[in-house]
Amino acid sequence: MAPDLTVRIGAMEMKNPVMLASGIFGYGDEFMGLAPYGELGALVLKTVTLFPRAGNPPASRTAETPAGLVNAIGLENVGLEAFLRDKLPVALSYGTHIVASIAGDTAQEFADCARALDRAGVSALEVNISCPNVKQGGMAFGVDAQASADVVAAVRAATSLPIIAKLTPNVTDVAAVAAACERSGADAVSLTNTFSAMVIDPETRRPLLAAGTGGLSGPAIRPAAVYRVREVAARVRVPVIGMGGIWNASDALEFLIAGASAVAVGTALYADPEAGHRVLRGIRGYLERHGIATVSDLVGSLRSAGG
Amino acid sequence: MSEPAGAPEAEAAGMSAASRFRVICEIIESAHLPGNHHRLVLEAPEIARLARPGQFVHVWCHPPEQIDRPPCAAVLRRPYSISRVWGPNRIVILMRVRGVGGSLLAARRAGERLDIIGPLGRGFAVAEGTRTAVVVAGGIGLAPVPLLLEWLAVHGIRTILLAGAADDSKLPFLVERPPGRPATLPELEELGAEVTFASESVEGVLVSDLLEMRLSELAHAHTQVFAIGPRAMLKRLAAICEGCLELQVSLEERMACGLGACRSCVVPARSAEGTAYKTVCRDGPVFDAREIDWERLTT
Repeated sequence: MAPDLTVRIGAMEMKNPVMLASGIFGYGDEFMGLAPYGELGALVLKTVTLFPRAGNPPASRTAETPAGLVNAIGLENVGLEAFLRDKLPVALSYGTHIVASIAGDTAQEFADCARALDRAGVSALEVNISCPNVKQGGMAFGVDAQASADVVAAVRAATSLPIIAKLTPNVTDVAAVAAACERSGADAVSLTNTFSAMVIDPETRRPLLAAGTGGLSGPAIRPAAVYRVREVAARVRVPVIGMGGIWNASDALEFLIAGASAVAVGTALYADPEAGHRVLRGIRGYLERHGIATVSDLVGSLRSAGG
Repeated sequence: MSEPAGAPEAEAAGMSAASRFRVICEIIESAHLPGNHHRLVLEAPEIARLARPGQFVHVWCHPPEQIDRPPCAAVLRRPYSISRVWGPNRIVILMRVRGVGGSLLAARRAGERLDIIGPLGRGFAVAEGTRTAVVVAGGIGLAPVPLLLEWLAVHGIRTILLAGAADDSKLPFLVERPPGRPATLPELEELGAEVTFASESVEGVLVSDLLEMRLSELAHAHTQVFAIGPRAMLKRLAAICEGCLELQVSLEERMACGLGACRSCVVPARSAEGTAYKTVCRDGPVFDAREIDWERLTT
């Protein structure tokens, strides 16, 4: 019998646990036609803010590193109005769950975005708390448990959609931040976002990125992300969405076994537009090979070392 | 004259599935050329059929069979302009080998397969009523010129090619220097263009000088300039052509997705309201010179 791949994130019931991570897939229209993306569990769109943002200066916004990619795009986005008018209808045409990722300078801005998206057709909201908290001197909301909780609470009050808090790994205790988000009403947490990173050109002694610093993604971060997913899954009851350097099914299985209920593919999509489909096929094959009836049986099934 | 494939209007109308393809194609030829250049001939009928001058393909540098294996180097695809379309089925890529991605590609052999996505981006567009085209290209910027010259010839447009490089070895095409006569580029002359070549080291002029020297002869309403090369060259051309010649430029920038999603490869655009960026991969790589904020474009 074919294994049951369905996964539930709050009220969002996905046909399988493979998602595409925010920022990678743009608003969806850019990848149209390259693969049947409607077959995946959910597609998380690029973060949108109340008003358009130009983002960081160019040249360069990204740098390739060993098994990785450092980016400093700076949340360039079209703004909520154009998102709702021009972008979302195209994304919804994929025929699978669409998750909107939102950010703001203040908790209020997050809430305003959430309210505007409440009945727009998206299946869930991902709250990108890795962006700078303007009232707190620009430090990311996500590095502080209380600030994270405040944002989630503000969004909770503004929408009945499932809320996914997207956690940054750049903290001492990510499980504490996850627990604070859960207490404030998050239906799920997703991690990890990118790891703070920097690339320097020794010839010029200048940072390669125009913004100076950025965030590292790609296979290089996978073991560090798996570690954090394990920590968080042990602390919260809500579902965890695991991501960070997933390239193939084996990578995704590590996250599931560590306690993630679903996974998201990011950087690998730029190499392989069908990376998500490849991961999904491999997960299905693994479950069949091991005679596991439902993917949820695998979640958090980590055995002790040694053995 | 028809707009090239991949024009923004076409994309807004749904980015039809048929506008670009991901194909696993066969490498027909993989040839080292002088000056650390390399030519790949690929069997890619879907892309060959749609390719327009100025468009590019996004190339996975590793063997397609290894896509499931996370790579340590060259995690991203590499963009290369389409140099020529040969027959109905083949495209040619011409590159200067530099960096890890180029080295991996140059090591690939005929008979192996390659994973490419294309054709991508907005190519060159000929305006209604254009009778003369001036193509200005510098160094490896000459790579996409053959397809452009063929296309202009098909449309019956008189074409002048002004080519330049720091020295002869920086050109992906053979330079012949008959004693006492100007240098020639036979492969490009065969495509019907009137070719003038000058290298900075021998003739002591920049390619933009070549246009400036003939400006009074060439600056007419029915003339269009198409330019590909280093940003400093394009910047200078934009200044020379402003107000007297229609200019389209092809820009390069570091890319990640190649599809307009990641916003890595942006360039500053002229805008009435503050800072605005356009993507080289999707809004370009070809831009009308008036679209670009040349003051803010870094070189």
